[in-house]
Amino acid sequence: MTQALIDGILLGGVYAVIALGLSLVYGVVGIVNFAHGAFLMLGMYVSWFAWRHLGLDPLAGSVLSFGAVFVLGYLVQRALINRVLAAPPAAQIFLTVGLLIAMENGALLLFGSDFRSVSVPYQLQGYQIGGIFLSAPYLYAFISAIALGGVLELYLARSWTGRAIRAVAQDPMAATLAGVDIRRTYARAFGLGVALTAFGGGIILPYITVSPTIGGQYVVLMFTAVVLGGLGSVRGALVGGLAVGIIQSLSALLFSIQLENLCLFVIFITVLSLRPQGIVKGM
Amino acid sequence: MRRTNWLLRRACAGLLVSALGFFAHRAPAAVSGEVVIGVIQALSGPNAQQGINAQRGTELAAEAINERGGVRALGGAKIRLITSDVPTPNTAAEVTQRLISQNNVSAMIGTVNSATTLAASEVTERGGIPLVTFAFADQITERGYKYIFAVSPKGSTFGEAQLNYTIAIARAAGENITKIGILYEDTAYGSAQAKGLRLAAAKTGVQIVMDEAYPQGITDVTPLVNKLRASGAQIAFPVSYLNDSLLIIRSMRQQQLNTPVVGGAAGYVLPDFRKGLGDLAEGILSVAAANSDLMPDFAAKYEAKYGTFITHDSLMHAAALDSVVQAIERAKSSDPEKVRDALATLDYCGGFAKGVPGGCVKFDATGRNASAFPVMVQWHGDRPVTVYPPQAAKQKAIWRGKPTS
Repeated sequence: MTQALIDGILLGGVYAVIALGLSLVYGVVGIVNFAHGAFLMLGMYVSWFAWRHLGLDPLAGSVLSFGAVFVLGYLVQRALINRVLAAPPAAQIFLTVGLLIAMENGALLLFGSDFRSVSVPYQLQGYQIGGIFLSAPYLYAFISAIALGGVLELYLARSWTGRAIRAVAQDPMAATLAGVDIRRTYARAFGLGVALTAFGGGIILPYITVSPTIGGQYVVLMFTAVVLGGLGSVRGALVGGLAVGIIQSLSALLFSIQLENLCLFVIFITVLSLRPQGIVKGM
Repeated sequence: MRRTNWLLRRACAGLLVSALGFFAHRAPAAVSGEVVIGVIQALSGPNAQQGINAQRGTELAAEAINERGGVRALGGAKIRLITSDVPTPNTAAEVTQRLISQNNVSAMIGTVNSATTLAASEVTERGGIPLVTFAFADQITERGYKYIFAVSPKGSTFGEAQLNYTIAIARAAGENITKIGILYEDTAYGSAQAKGLRLAAAKTGVQIVMDEAYPQGITDVTPLVNKLRASGAQIAFPVSYLNDSLLIIRSMRQQQLNTPVVGGAAGYVLPDFRKGLGDLAEGILSVAAANSDLMPDFAAKYEAKYGTFITHDSLMHAAALDSVVQAIERAKSSDPEKVRDALATLDYCGGFAKGVPGGCVKFDATGRNASAFPVMVQWHGDRPVTVYPPQAAKQKAIWRGKPTS
């Protein structure tokens, strides 16, 4: 039971960083980004290629993913998302879903539908503390995720651009009056959001195989984590991510593994009907 | 003047389009002196490794058959293979239909994946084209179809062999098996083989302390490994494709669970299994439909051309192709109906059928190759070696690190 809990926490930490990106995009830019899973997939591919051609460990490669996808996200926001910010939500949904389809199929064309995985020395290692087993790849991913979460927290609290992002999230008009460049801030926030998720993709590469459609498996979990924790709240994404991980792990212990997502959604629906704004109230 | 120009252009375009359409839709008539055989395999996606192995085996066999004189009954007609990629079961029906309607095939061969074969066989049954497959699932030959033939034993037969052979090997090493764990991917293949494992366990009085199905695209097997450890099983019997097989072995090692594993074919006998696990693969047992050491000459040719050892996918597909050719020879015709009838009464023990354990291809009333039996292989160095049953074994099995007598 404790083992399942620990496994759930390790898994949840990664879900948290992935969900963080989604939450940031919604909280600041105000759109629900359906293409978020595709950015996860991109992050994984960047890391994979970095491993394959540069010999970089995926954990280091994730930093590369972060950077590369940030730039891409920034450009996507400036070129595409910006245009629909004032449009009705339906238009925004169409845009991001279209982006998702374009990215997935683009990846399919470029990379083929084969599954790729990395082979790193610590893939087969595990640590034993007391009676609990901690598998190395999961542990390292968890630590990386938490580290990045901490860095993000500092950035948002201390740096000027970070505070600008939070200001825009609270009140765009007031932020403009205070001298914040809204356009650039939106672009930064979007870039940051997708970069966070891409990083999450890179760090799970040691234990997940990547294919162009891998994003689809995580999209539902991402949204569940974000909404469960509270849409628009960074802390909420953390709570939501951990909750999803723990629920999945515990339910796999008690029920058949095929039902693990069913359990998750039943709890999700229950929480939402009792507390629609999520576990942690929004920003 | 303008109007005439406009009309003229439209008329030309119309003519051009209909001409193209006419040429595009007409199925090319088989050039006399050749026999067309359709091949459907997963050449991309999660089962790509197996599909590519199968296609290579089929092509190499076709080359060999053409070199030895082609189809003699049709005046030395050469075999021509037309291959289509079927990465998932969803696209199987459409791809198969397209292949059949655009070409005059005498028969079809494929696939390696049971779920895909089930889907494709519905099209071939309706279209009256015989399909010779390697896929295991019992369901494939239990629907009363007349145009489906399987060169390998049923999935449940593999499951029974997976347990019974292990019991025999363990007994020879002085160990009695009483408690086992089974974990299997939940599509047609895994479910069929798990059924066989349960049957064998019931017959031999072995207790199944863990019995878990898992979704085919599973990404995290930690809960399975936890359950395996908690169950106290002596041996684990997983039935997995490539990705899940790698996940399971790696997770077990990470969680420091050293329960011996006897794999259920598919992922456990592929070159990529060894590539993904390195030395961890050493000593792992698995059932298989055939093995490279049962047909050394062909295996050597394959390895020289493709750089990896030949797998049972390649060997069994070579046998499948050869069976189709033999059926055409006996029917003295490339008409699908006559080929189907000849396949149903085939009893062929030469050529590439020798690569099938049992040495023959002989289909029973349901379309199964009744003379074939599974073998047990064990990884030594960079490839699996046949260790059971004795009439096919090339080496004695090593059980828990010690050679059996």
